[in-house]
Amino acid sequence: MDETSSISFPSDYPTIDPTSFDLVVLGTGLPESLLAAAAAAAGKSVLHLDHNPFYGSHFSSLSLPFPPSFLHSPPLPPDPSTPPSAPSPSSSYAAVNLRPHRLYSEIEIAGSSPEPSKAFLLDLAGPRVLYCADETVDLMLRSGASHHVEFKSVDANLIYWEGRLCSVPDSRQAIFKDRTLGLAEKREMMKLLKLVQQHIGSGDGQVAATAEEAAVGISAEDLETPFAEFLKKQRLPPKIRTIILYAIALANHDQDNAESCKKLITTKQGIESLALYNSSVGRFPNAVSAFIYPIYGHGELPQAFCRCAAVKGALYVLRMPIVALLIDKESRQYKGVRLASGQDIFSHHLVMEPSLQVPSSVSHSNTVCEGLNDSNLIGYAARGVCITSGPIQQGSSNILVVFPPKSLHSGQLTTVRALQLSSNVGVCPPGLFVVYLSTPCNDVILGTEYVRAAMNALFIVPNSDISEGGISTSDEVTEGETRPTLLWSSVHVQELTQASFSAVCSCPMPDENLDYRKILESTKQLFTNMYPQEEFFPKHSTSENAEDDSGSSE
Amino acid sequence: MASRRRTLLKVIILGDSGYVNKKFSNQYKATIGADFLTKEVQFEDRLFTLQIWDTAGQERFQSLGVAFYRGADCCVLVYDVNVMKSFDNLNNWREEFLIQASPSDPENFPFVVLGNKIDIDGGNSRVVSEKKARAWCASKGNIPYFETSAKEGFNVEAAFQCMAKNALKNEPEEEM
Repeated sequence: MDETSSISFPSDYPTIDPTSFDLVVLGTGLPESLLAAAAAAAGKSVLHLDHNPFYGSHFSSLSLPFPPSFLHSPPLPPDPSTPPSAPSPSSSYAAVNLRPHRLYSEIEIAGSSPEPSKAFLLDLAGPRVLYCADETVDLMLRSGASHHVEFKSVDANLIYWEGRLCSVPDSRQAIFKDRTLGLAEKREMMKLLKLVQQHIGSGDGQVAATAEEAAVGISAEDLETPFAEFLKKQRLPPKIRTIILYAIALANHDQDNAESCKKLITTKQGIESLALYNSSVGRFPNAVSAFIYPIYGHGELPQAFCRCAAVKGALYVLRMPIVALLIDKESRQYKGVRLASGQDIFSHHLVMEPSLQVPSSVSHSNTVCEGLNDSNLIGYAARGVCITSGPIQQGSSNILVVFPPKSLHSGQLTTVRALQLSSNVGVCPPGLFVVYLSTPCNDVILGTEYVRAAMNALFIVPNSDISEGGISTSDEVTEGETRPTLLWSSVHVQELTQASFSAVCSCPMPDENLDYRKILESTKQLFTNMYPQEEFFPKHSTSENAEDDSGSSE
Repeated sequence: MASRRRTLLKVIILGDSGYVNKKFSNQYKATIGADFLTKEVQFEDRLFTLQIWDTAGQERFQSLGVAFYRGADCCVLVYDVNVMKSFDNLNNWREEFLIQASPSDPENFPFVVLGNKIDIDGGNSRVVSEKKARAWCASKGNIPYFETSAKEGFNVEAAFQCMAKNALKNEPEEEM
């Protein structure tokens, strides 16, 4: 985790033995680590490399200084024009240099970074949480990765409504207890909750898969309509609709603006999200809300899966950059990789993190690398990392805050989400708080403006220039006095790249969502694409992970 | 405190590649493909569950992640009495542990050193003497030292006992 040591790579790279593998994985982000672990569990020989001295790549949690140097300038490595070892002319393969790709931009830091820097663990992919009933959680249990990570409950889910923070009534009890809702509103919300439960209950309880065939309660026709319209049809008042759409179904884009909104959630998707949320609340007795956060940050998750892979025999080498792909001269098929050490490693499959790309000149003429180019870009996410002097809400530790579209100002088209974390998840010293913010965007300027507007709404921002160019917010809100002071912040824009499927796979970047569902889905697709015969973490592999002798000895 | 309280302790095993991985665990029980093994130890009137983690090969290229070190209650440093380099590297592993795990009281963090494979070749290929090993342990704040053999599981039980004992902060540290 020592960032300073990442700057100087050891000049003497180790020699790797053996030199041939079923799968080579570059980068240790969550998707790459899941693939390494799944392949190792399926009996494949795996070599897992990272040029950084730490695990996690774009999914890591790092100490200050933040952002780490690799955000400013992408990795790589020795001068590609002078390959460490010249390929012999008689060899049957050609080396194609990899091109580093810059995924982060508009990086702006404000404030002096707090001490001690080592006491902070900041997520690159924040804000992010897991649903208690998430498939990611099941996968961790199934793979044994859950042995390595502990979670804490997010205490509350809040929504920014009419210039103030309100709690999200997200369960029967919460609705019942809520003081801001009228009786009629409560009744409508309870009715919807019941409808969702009936709808889900009419299937076999499987949240995702069965929604289409189980149409009891909600007609098939309704399932295909926009969720926002469906909610209107249920005669739910605007506040409840907003809460359901953005704080529970976690919509990213304005659902009332059909033209400018690229993603309208269908009723089917909305109901699925509600059902997942509903089954998450109360899944674990000690988790008070639907969401959990990994202690010591999200960087623990890839490490947990890497350990699972290692236990199953995968070979791990950090601080090892890759300089080139080896392509068969005749068939133009992928053969292997050339390491910074000059060693050539061969494999049937290659998985790469998204900051490495095959030069387009090659990928266009090469069917193997098809799809490995800029077309993976699907948009941007503006992200903010803040360190504050106190909690957003008195007495709160770990809370989620949702700024639905139009809540910060009338032109706001996307949802801004904020996640406040305290020292009880091991990411900062006691008394201070870490707050992550993010919003998806097409326009990077607009995205960072939204993030800054949300920061202004939540914190007292000491330097007025920090909010310059930001959108004026309702600063005169009554609770202004209790806002914590912003001590330090970093705002940046990250490219959203999706997975690409070919003999050389490219993994997705952390997406614009709050959870890992989409990332897990594309990771599974990458796995199935490589190994159509194999199951992604078969269920039976759990029992042997932890060997317990206590039973036999007593 | 309830006398029959069960305490879970995370014990991590560090040492040079090839000398440690799976070997120590194997003395107790074969654990191929296991994430960690658990061992029940009774010390005085308390029951301890030791959760023993080896490096799963990630130490081979110095690629252990910080998560591996987190929350360790005891660190076992293992070397092969037949390989000098494995003994020389004990210091590096100890320092690596203190940096990565950053325990609150590094001076008094419970380490245990194991000299392994004493039975190989009837002890004829041994290159690190017990005296030398004990001297190093003494210089690092009297780290308890055990010599173990793969053949008999010799001394392994004693080492387990020691881990439980040392992980108890209030217990005075002494060699067994």
